[in-house]
Amino acid sequence: MIKLNASRFITRHVLFALVAGGLGGVAFMFFLIEFDHYTSTNAFCTTCHSMTYAEVSYQDTPHYNSPSGVRASCGDCHVSEGLIMATYDHIVGIQDLFKQLFGPDYDDPVVNLLHLPEAAFASRAWFSRRESATCQRCHTLEAIQGQRANTAAIHREETEGKSCIDCHYNLVHRHVPTEQTFKREAWNAMVEDEFGLEPGTAERILAGEG
Amino acid sequence: MMSSLPFSRSLILIPLHLILGGCCVLFAAGAANAAKVELSPEHWGNPAGERCVSCHEKSSAGLTRQWHESAHREAGVNCLDCHQAKAADVDAMEHEGEIIATIVSPKDCGRCHTKEYEEQAGSVHAEAYAKIKTRIPALAHRMTGGAMQAAGCDQCHGSRVKVLGDGTLDPATWPNSGIGRINPDGSKGSCSSCHGRHAFSKAQAREPSACVRCHSGPDSPDKEVFEASKHGMFYAAQRDQMNLDGETWIAGRDYTAAPTCTTCHMGAAGNIPATHDVGLRNAWNLNQPVSHKQYLVLFEDGGKLERPDTEAPPRRGSELEKPDGSIGKVRAVIAPDRRRGVMSLVCLECHGKAFTESFMRQFDDVVDLYNSKFGEPAQAIMMALYERGLLTPLPFDEPLEFTYWELWHDEGARARHGASMMSANHAWWEGMYLVGRNFYSRFLPQAREVAGDQAAEIIDPILAASGQHAWLNETAQGNPILGWMPPQPEAPELEPESEPEPEPAAATPADEDEGEDEEGDDQ
Repeated sequence: MIKLNASRFITRHVLFALVAGGLGGVAFMFFLIEFDHYTSTNAFCTTCHSMTYAEVSYQDTPHYNSPSGVRASCGDCHVSEGLIMATYDHIVGIQDLFKQLFGPDYDDPVVNLLHLPEAAFASRAWFSRRESATCQRCHTLEAIQGQRANTAAIHREETEGKSCIDCHYNLVHRHVPTEQTFKREAWNAMVEDEFGLEPGTAERILAGEG
Repeated sequence: MMSSLPFSRSLILIPLHLILGGCCVLFAAGAANAAKVELSPEHWGNPAGERCVSCHEKSSAGLTRQWHESAHREAGVNCLDCHQAKAADVDAMEHEGEIIATIVSPKDCGRCHTKEYEEQAGSVHAEAYAKIKTRIPALAHRMTGGAMQAAGCDQCHGSRVKVLGDGTLDPATWPNSGIGRINPDGSKGSCSSCHGRHAFSKAQAREPSACVRCHSGPDSPDKEVFEASKHGMFYAAQRDQMNLDGETWIAGRDYTAAPTCTTCHMGAAGNIPATHDVGLRNAWNLNQPVSHKQYLVLFEDGGKLERPDTEAPPRRGSELEKPDGSIGKVRAVIAPDRRRGVMSLVCLECHGKAFTESFMRQFDDVVDLYNSKFGEPAQAIMMALYERGLLTPLPFDEPLEFTYWELWHDEGARARHGASMMSANHAWWEGMYLVGRNFYSRFLPQAREVAGDQAAEIIDPILAASGQHAWLNETAQGNPILGWMPPQPEAPELEPESEPEPEPAAATPADEDEGEDEEGDDQ
């Protein structure tokens, strides 16, 4: 058996590396916590102009202005809980940054609205995969009372096998149909109508993006 | 006209056979007021639809309760049987894992209620929006504002339901249950206009109140007319004998207490089958500046069209433009007297033939009087003023245009509707009396003012041509109705002879008026 000679093994250099590494690790953890926290704030998300469009509809909903004063930030809903998952979500989210920098001009309100459905579908799929975990940071099924008489009963008795997002989509951001019933032509026509564009403009914009 | 008459007679026979044929089919099916659903039950009762109920009992207890107590529920028809949609449908949406649509159109109802769907398609009800869509902007948009279309016009005539690009229904066009609604699936009409969802009660649709939402008020006061008629009087007194819940509802057999709107315009009576073409039995169009008797043109594709009998009836097989602008091939033409004949057969369940025919004569005389004395001259004067540029083409920017509009659209319609359904009050005080007052005290003075120097040239010949306004020139003819008579010239020498002379002129109309007053008191 090898006799561990601690005094021989822990040299000055090793000790220094351990302390430095430990402190560095702790600092990195603090950094990640702060990083995840900061990158989950509304202020950070809306540093990209493209995200301010999502903010407009959100500010009209109880998730922004609730009577109790609770305000859900972008990250409260769209970034998972826990350091590991939050970091993972942010790393995955970097692809959005690439799209913002190298993709279509999402800062243009027309382009933004034309692409909104895909964003909505992706986001709903994300909520669905995580069984609406971020909703449940605040909402506890057993505690849901609601203002109408049977809201509590519906949530107790009619939700088996479902998570929040299965019913509650189109809750915070602009109304987008489900992927099953989405009709691109109708959506394009709506965008053209809203911005006073010639019919066919939307299709040209989308085709031009390659 | 003479040459077209024999031709139209031969055409008339075809629809009559159809009607009688339909009658036999109906009686074979149990003489039901509503046709029996022929679709076999395996086509409904979608198991997925059962799951809707437990949640909707909580989220919308009222409508679920109505459905629970409905014949639909009894027959096993659930939410999804009516509301299911295909993902490709313009108004399709995902709801709790199912693809559904909010609007259940006549086409949807027609999956089971085929006969009713086909009958209502092309009817004056189904075309109610199409008929006025080009006229809506004049009053609803220009004179008032767009908000009035949704809250006013469209509530009765129906909206063109718009599905927005995000899949939602445009709030400017929905909710709406107007009877000529243009649905996202292209079908026209709204069954729920008369059949309140989600109970779909037979009794409710047989009540006069099913029609009141639209057939009331100044321009089509059918509710008021019915209530003020003897039919309405009996209905009110004997409503408990109306058998309104009856499985079948054939006038003269299942009930005799009184007719309702449904009885005469749609209902089964004796050998007459029920129809969901509510205008089928109407010989006249009573809501025009000048009334015409109407042909009903049936197209091969099931469409329908009304044409005035001033035109030659279209030939069978010929092509004609339909209300929506498309071209249809004529399958058959129902002449106005045939339509009147069907209506009269309903009357015969309770009235004698001579009684019925004489009543129709009284009614027709009122329409003819309105047409010839007021409707036609007023229309001719207006057209002349427009043609000469004395009125701008823009409607309702000149007071005369309101006056003319009300003359035919309001009091003129009331007079004609009142006569059609036996409300003396509406035929006279609410109707023709106001037509006369409007014509002489507002319309003519305003028209003369607009015509200016050309009044004598434009207006007087039209009045003279009608031959019914010469009484205005007999200014010396007194009558005690307003409490004053011109003093009689004193002629003592010929006293016995001179005395009776003014009397006939004065006394005859006075007697008539007294007679009317008595009638008024009787009401």
